[in-house]
Amino acid sequence: MRAPTMTEVRDWVNERTGFETVWNALLERHIPEAKGPVAWAYTLGSASMFVFTLQAVTGALLAMNYVPSTDHAYDSVRFIGSSVLMGGFIRGLHHYGASFMVVLVVAHMLRIYLMGSYKYPREGTWMVGVLLFLVVIGFGFTGYLLPWDQKAYWATAVGTNIAGQTPVVGGMVAKILKGGADMGAPTLTRFYALHVLVLPGVIGVLLGVHLFLVVWHGISEPPTRMGGKGGSRG
Amino acid sequence: MPNDEACVREEAAGGVSRRTFLTAGIVVLGGAISALLGATGLSYFISPAFKKDEEDWVDIGRASDMKPGAPLKVDFVARKRDAWVVTEKRSSAWVSTDGKEFTVFDPRCTHLGCPYRWDQAREQFLCPCHAAVFDAKGQVVSGPPPRPLDRFAAKVVEGRLLIQPQAIKGAA
Repeated sequence: MRAPTMTEVRDWVNERTGFETVWNALLERHIPEAKGPVAWAYTLGSASMFVFTLQAVTGALLAMNYVPSTDHAYDSVRFIGSSVLMGGFIRGLHHYGASFMVVLVVAHMLRIYLMGSYKYPREGTWMVGVLLFLVVIGFGFTGYLLPWDQKAYWATAVGTNIAGQTPVVGGMVAKILKGGADMGAPTLTRFYALHVLVLPGVIGVLLGVHLFLVVWHGISEPPTRMGGKGGSRG
Repeated sequence: MPNDEACVREEAAGGVSRRTFLTAGIVVLGGAISALLGATGLSYFISPAFKKDEEDWVDIGRASDMKPGAPLKVDFVARKRDAWVVTEKRSSAWVSTDGKEFTVFDPRCTHLGCPYRWDQAREQFLCPCHAAVFDAKGQVVSGPPPRPLDRFAAKVVEGRLLIQPQAIKGAA
């Protein structure tokens, strides 16, 4: 019996999964023609998703050596930097990636706003995108506490106190965030659970919907000036 | 894969089409980034396999304080480092010396782990639980123990006696 060729293997899988249809819909779809900075602006969504993947992978690695407990959190983070092979680099990627993630999603949001891409029929994509933005901010807020150093502690103290300033419900919100009247062990476990269990689940669902809508509607054209002259189509 | 007419024209002219060039670029750059990040992440993940076991030597006092003759029971605190956790355990050991070499015994009887004592008159170790008797070298004289007293590794560094309080089974 002869070995099957690559084409035969591909056809076999394709016949049973239809992956070529999915592949074509996702990666071979038509996108607007654009040049220069405008073309680059179209990459911001994919860039956010790349950094998100990076955060997920480095985060999983960090979680292997991290303890969300007030007596070991700081030591375990130091241990990652000092005693685990490439630990400092992995933590650095996660640390700077977190900041860059916020920069990218804000830039992506600005692109959508300035080009008017949120307009009919893409309002749903925009709304889910706003939720995704809030989730990214949530990741940043909860992740900032985890090293449990002075900066982390006081930043979260300020953050939860800001929540406490909300009229009527503020006190309750602050207590729910902190897991009690004061910051302490329950605050750290709460933030950790939100950071590694709750928010990843939420972002997974929202990202799925967001990407489906992007593919479903296609990418919007860059705006043109009335009368068809000038504009950013070059 | 749907090809634009321009691609077909360019390739027919013997050149590399923009599409082919960009695809190759994505594959090469993407592959390089994935390989770099993958290798880094993988080395982080598998690094425990290549980590050397740390030796935990415990300082239990000045070597010159241990005199030949009667074995001395030394109490000490063993600090054990387990990644980011440091545990302290109070423990003890029997130290005997001939003036040059140090022999350090695990303070638990090899029968069922009872703490034994030194009987100076008989010059033997006696265990109160099941009447085990060991001689000064730790060999079983009588009673139920299955093997001689367990020992701890010992060495002298700059006049201090260091031991590793992990039992070396039945070393004679």
